[in-house]
Amino acid sequence: MMVSLPPLLLFIMDTITMIAIYLIATLSLNIEYGYTGIADFGKSAGVAVGAFVVGAIPGRILMMLLAIKGDYILDNTPIVSAINSVLGRDTLLAIGTLVLGLALAVAFGALFGYVVSYPVARLKGEYFAIFMLAISEAMRYIFNYYTPVVGGPYGVMVPDPLRFITAKYGGQLRLIITSIVITFISIGIFYYAERLARSPLGRTLRAIRDCDVAAEVLGKDVVSYRMKITVISSAMAALAGALYAFYTLYVAAIAYDRVTWTFWPWTILILGGMANNVGMVVGTVLFVVVTRLIIIFKRSLEPILPFDVVWLEYILFGLMLIIVLMFRPEGLLPEKPTKTIEFEKFEKARAARVAEGPEEEEASGGKTEGGG
Amino acid sequence: MWILIRDAITYASMLILLSTGLTLTYITTKVPNFAHGEIAVIGLFVAFTFLKIFGLNPYLAMPVAFVLGALVALVLYKLILRPLMKRGATLDHLMIATLGYDILIFAMLNIYADFLTETYKVKTRGFMPFRAYDFTFLGQPGVFIVAVAAVAILMVSLHLLLTRTRFGIAMRATIENPHLANVCGVNVELVYTVSWILAGGLASMAGVLLPFYFRGSPCLGFYLIVPVFTASIVGGFYSIYGAMLGGAIAGLSEYLITYAVASVVGSWFLSYRIAIPLIMLALTLLLAPEGLTGVNWRKVLRTLKLRLSGLWAQLGTLGMRR
Repeated sequence: MMVSLPPLLLFIMDTITMIAIYLIATLSLNIEYGYTGIADFGKSAGVAVGAFVVGAIPGRILMMLLAIKGDYILDNTPIVSAINSVLGRDTLLAIGTLVLGLALAVAFGALFGYVVSYPVARLKGEYFAIFMLAISEAMRYIFNYYTPVVGGPYGVMVPDPLRFITAKYGGQLRLIITSIVITFISIGIFYYAERLARSPLGRTLRAIRDCDVAAEVLGKDVVSYRMKITVISSAMAALAGALYAFYTLYVAAIAYDRVTWTFWPWTILILGGMANNVGMVVGTVLFVVVTRLIIIFKRSLEPILPFDVVWLEYILFGLMLIIVLMFRPEGLLPEKPTKTIEFEKFEKARAARVAEGPEEEEASGGKTEGGG
Repeated sequence: MWILIRDAITYASMLILLSTGLTLTYITTKVPNFAHGEIAVIGLFVAFTFLKIFGLNPYLAMPVAFVLGALVALVLYKLILRPLMKRGATLDHLMIATLGYDILIFAMLNIYADFLTETYKVKTRGFMPFRAYDFTFLGQPGVFIVAVAAVAILMVSLHLLLTRTRFGIAMRATIENPHLANVCGVNVELVYTVSWILAGGLASMAGVLLPFYFRGSPCLGFYLIVPVFTASIVGGFYSIYGAMLGGAIAGLSEYLITYAVASVVGSWFLSYRIAIPLIMLALTLLLAPEGLTGVNWRKVLRTLKLRLSGLWAQLGTLGMRR
């Protein structure tokens, strides 16, 4: 039974998916820059790692499992369609592919973060920014020529982990289900980012951002915190890249450039307001909706303009970034002071502790405060 | 062999023109300019317009490119960075602003490229290098002569400017300590403005020479940013002479190492030449982030000498015991 849905619903779901994917990338940048103050100008490298893993590994594993002969890169289209026809029948294998792909992407992203965290802990802000920008550009150029991983200039197809839905109900329902899965993962990441920001770790990170010397004096190991955050943030960026690859079912190195996956997340971050996760959501929704509107009006603009409409988008967001920096550098939703525990509750808890045993009061005072 | 070295020298000369400007703006205003590569591409398109649209010699585009690049850099400094600094923006915000400006230039260049393709039916993306239109002098291609001459003129005039003129001395004073220079009556703002004009102009002038070497395209700036920053950092991000040295080293080694490796492992390696500056950048940042001119060589030599003499003495005592 094939399900056919109105095109407007499909368009809206597509928009929501892009919002969800960009939200993950932006939250990863927010944890890294907004909370910890590491200016990472190579976010596209982290995103690309996730996408490359999904492009390169699950397909090859399935090829071996299903004993399909051939060269994964050269005969990519027939091999992936053969894999997809199996995935259309085998639900368990398909879901396994999705989970394995995402897990591998996160693992490789964390590994990449660990490798680049060595310089992050030791370099001054602008040097690290230059270093990351250089890495992301070089990675794009190298993987665009190096065919064995993701096919170089031709790209590779990704096995469709939701093929069983396509096989039963048609491609439109598959799109809807994919959107829902990605949106749920994105909500999970948002919850994680929010918890992280409100935890004692989040406060430590802000202390490091605002004055690393003071944090060091108070006994915080600044270097190790910075390294950990780089690892977490790279893993999140890789997750965004992996989801994007599974969504579009195609990976080509050239797509992970510094405009799409470094500059747009930065624009969203500055627009939404750094160190404010809700601001990230507002910024991402605004950004994606405006790009979608440009796509809708593309048809009517095209005959008037002698150039591709996409450049208008670049100019629009480039200008917007500069204007926001100039007139509202704190973003649409500025960073809020941390919500602390109510004074009455705090007093009550303290009274309870005092009643339990007066000698514990000193030691537990700090702990209660930290739970907010 | 000579052709290889000649090409390497030409490429290194272009890098010197680019990295000198980058370092100049960094040591004065303390902002790494991520739009620097794209400003060079402006020069590339000026040369393209001169050759393909007006049918003129592309070298004639150099003054026009200089003015245009200087204007673009001036707009970046005066209308974006300066107001941001006055509002107390952080360095990260200044950096992201230059990246935003880079995207703006990139989009404008693409629009211009689309416009040229629409109107004149010429290929504007990935067009062939201009070698066929180059002149030769004493059997050498013109781009080699022009690039080397441009670098020689730049080095001599910059050295004279910095050491022999009042403005140059004011410039050095500003680089050393802007507040003190300001108190002593130096117009710091003028120094900053001039350094941005020079940087933009030089980058754009280097851009005129680029299409003789690379396949021209608006995205060439994305590639250039890696070797240019490598050149500036290898030489030492705090010294103009370091930028020249770094440009020479980074340019020569990118070209020659790529060819040397390719001659051993096969010509497929030529596509990966961007790996060479990246490795150089990483090594410099990890081992000596202050760059070649920032390293206290006397101290390094002294410790080396001490170590060696210690080793020598130890060897001596070992010999005595024997």
